Amino acid sequence: MAEESIAATGPAGDSPWRLALRRLRRNRVALGFLGLFVLIVVFVLAAPLWADNVAETGPNKTHTLQKIEVDGEKRDVVNPEGKPIGPVWFGAGGKFFLGADSRLGRDEMVRLMYGGRTSLFIGIVAALLTTLLATLLGLLSGYYRGWTDTAISRAMDVVWAFPVLLLAIALGLVLAVGGLQIGPLHLSGGSIWIPILIIGFVSTPYMARPLRGEVLALREKEFVEAAVAQGAGSLRIMLAELLPNLWSTIIVFFTLNIAASMLLESALSFLGVGVQAPNASWGTMIATSNNLISSAPLLTIIPGTMILLTVLSLNVFGDGLRDALDPKSKVRFEAHSGLSAPEGSETIEGLTP
Amino acid sequence: MRKPVLALLVLALAGGSTLGLAACGSSSGGKEGGTLTGSYAEFPEYLDPALAYSSESWTAIYDTYIPLLTYAHASGPAGSKVIPGLATSLPKVSNNGKTYTLTLRKGLKYSDGTPVKASDFPASVERMLALESGGSSFYTGIVGAEKFAETKQGHVSGIKADDKTGKIVIDLTKPRGTFTNELALPFVALLPKGTPVKNLTADLPPASGPYKIVKTEPGRGWSYERNPQWAKTNGKLMPEIPGGHVNKIAIKVASNDSTQVNEVERGKTDWMQTAISADLYPKVKEKYEGTQFRVEPTVSTYYFWMNTTKAPFDDLKVRQAVNYAVNPAALERIYAGTLSPLHQILPPGMPGHKPFDLYPHDMAKAKKMIAEANPSDRDITVWTDNESPNNEAGQYYQGVLQELGFNAKFKEISAENYAPLIGNENTPDLDTGWFDWFEDYPHPNDFFQPQLSGESIQPTSNYNLARIDDPALNKKIVELNEEPLRPQQEADYAQLDREFMEQAPWAPYGSLTTSTFVSSAIDLGKVIYNPTFGDDLTSFQFK
Repeated sequence: MAEESIAATGPAGDSPWRLALRRLRRNRVALGFLGLFVLIVVFVLAAPLWADNVAETGPNKTHTLQKIEVDGEKRDVVNPEGKPIGPVWFGAGGKFFLGADSRLGRDEMVRLMYGGRTSLFIGIVAALLTTLLATLLGLLSGYYRGWTDTAISRAMDVVWAFPVLLLAIALGLVLAVGGLQIGPLHLSGGSIWIPILIIGFVSTPYMARPLRGEVLALREKEFVEAAVAQGAGSLRIMLAELLPNLWSTIIVFFTLNIAASMLLESALSFLGVGVQAPNASWGTMIATSNNLISSAPLLTIIPGTMILLTVLSLNVFGDGLRDALDPKSKVRFEAHSGLSAPEGSETIEGLTP
Repeated sequence: MRKPVLALLVLALAGGSTLGLAACGSSSGGKEGGTLTGSYAEFPEYLDPALAYSSESWTAIYDTYIPLLTYAHASGPAGSKVIPGLATSLPKVSNNGKTYTLTLRKGLKYSDGTPVKASDFPASVERMLALESGGSSFYTGIVGAEKFAETKQGHVSGIKADDKTGKIVIDLTKPRGTFTNELALPFVALLPKGTPVKNLTADLPPASGPYKIVKTEPGRGWSYERNPQWAKTNGKLMPEIPGGHVNKIAIKVASNDSTQVNEVERGKTDWMQTAISADLYPKVKEKYEGTQFRVEPTVSTYYFWMNTTKAPFDDLKVRQAVNYAVNPAALERIYAGTLSPLHQILPPGMPGHKPFDLYPHDMAKAKKMIAEANPSDRDITVWTDNESPNNEAGQYYQGVLQELGFNAKFKEISAENYAPLIGNENTPDLDTGWFDWFEDYPHPNDFFQPQLSGESIQPTSNYNLARIDDPALNKKIVELNEEPLRPQQEADYAQLDREFMEQAPWAPYGSLTTSTFVSSAIDLGKVIYNPTFGDDLTSFQFK
């Protein structure tokens, strides 16, 4: 096992992972927000159940001319002036619980749940893609150095040179019309994989750079020299020696990347270059309701709140995870900021400010 | 002409509402001078008169680039009257309707001081054809124009211009009943000979009308000043065209229509060209009707086109089934009551309009017809622009197609790029989509020839989106257009409307009502809303 890992093992012989878990358990704020995130995931996973058994409609099904009975009174889903019905809660047996989304008369609650699936799916898969690419590039760049490092780093610089949102919008505009052809693989412009690939691609340098720095430092450590002395090849050193020491950083980045990817997806979808209508995501729902913001503001507020809660929960949990996996970073933070540690976090004696 | 944005809601402002007053902007009551501020939701796709082909762009250049003939600066039916522009009078038609003779007014100058010459007319026509303008098809009946459009070599032999006398003689290959109207369109507005053959939207050529566009920032806005030559010469020579009241006009692009409405309400801008969204329409109408807001009728058809050259829409039964499936009543609600249901080509207000509905909404029948047709290719793409509620109409249409058993993908394109994109034959997956058409002039040929004649299909700037090319119907379009528009011809056009709907290249669903909305500083009563050009900027006057 690597020297750093041995050093981090506790007096009782616990593994660093077990220690981290113990620290995380004591961070009630982080756990609370993890619980909130789990609730959100359960909420969106229940979309088909709600749609089929309660709302009895699909996320893209229009009901423009339909009337529903709310508390015994017949009401238009969309009135003749084009205003969609507002929340009726359980007045119509759960149908149009949050009202209709637009003049198309789609069920807002159903779209919120399905839209959340889309947003979360894109956030998680894009974050996975970013993590995979960034880890690969960080390892190659930091381990081989020289020309490999120069080539990868300059390529990253090129991507980094563009503001992330502008680059994503530009790619989205191009790909939304013509789709993407990579060898035999063709993605149509409306494919959900287009925003995933765009977000995964533009986010990669922001994770690859710090990982590269960490690899550069790790490769000078004695345990790497020992592995070399034992005749280990480059691939084995990268995968068996360096990668395990990067896990804590990778995991923390991954959780934060989910939140960042969801935000970017929302922005792209709002601007019309992310998830393509009529498919719902929380971003497209805000874009759709933007036209009704003065007469039906809830249609904007509800998906906006869902984005806020999801991103907040992931960010707070990600911070807690970082503190648990790398307590020294917390100490460094406190030393620089002069802030006291939150409840449940640890300090290392002698290093507090 | 298409109005990419729900657009029409225009407004116009006020001003010398009578034709005669115009020359230098004198009028009774109201202030002269000042700077008019206005907003558009999108930057027009072109401001170059040879290329401009939307209500937004025509509103913008109506008072800057004047053709030999133009339309009266008046609201309602009076605004559909063709009047002399740069020419001294309406054309003299001879040779059984095949020769048009006009004379240029003497002493006219462009805004940069260059004299306007008769030879500028053939040069402007050739430039327009060389640019493959969407309006080309109006002029390919000129002798030699078709060949020039193909080869872009030599000259259009059917136009003779004499700079000394100002005489312009135009020979047509066959009589064309709409040619006088077409000579009044901006496509053939005169520009100095030698004007570069490229889109000059960002750096516009000199103007001949009462205003000139002095600065263009594509995507952001543009501004006008008075044409210095108007007061000196042009205004006196063209008394039928009003000179305008304000000295400057500044237009900005504000994509959010709530912002546009809010700024007009607060007096920060004086006018918004964009249609008020369905969300705000009832409130604005209730609060400002009669003082700052006015409902305006339009002669327009909103429809879904189906590409008749590609499966599955190459099958008549499929197209007819789609017509049965689309419900204009649902779309009326999506347009929040600003749309009157319509299920035919010619809208109310257009000569030849005779109401009928071959496909009353019947989803069960539509599904049965699709089952009978059993199209092998069910993967289709539905196109629409991103203006609300057009994009919602597109989503409704996609839902209808999915209910019919198609795997319908949805593509939403920004309004300013929409027409060029779907009018380009190289764009993939042009199966079906949304479009609208507003009258270019009060003649039914304007709805048939550019959009439904096989002769109008072109590689770019194509408006025959259904790509329908029926030889018998093409022939009828040509024959009807060779005659003057009389009651018999109107009845024939009504029959043609029915025959096209039997072929179902479109699923029409409505005709739009628009509005004018101005700030409290503007005299709404003087605002002119021309049926072809929308707001007349020369009519805007501060109280």
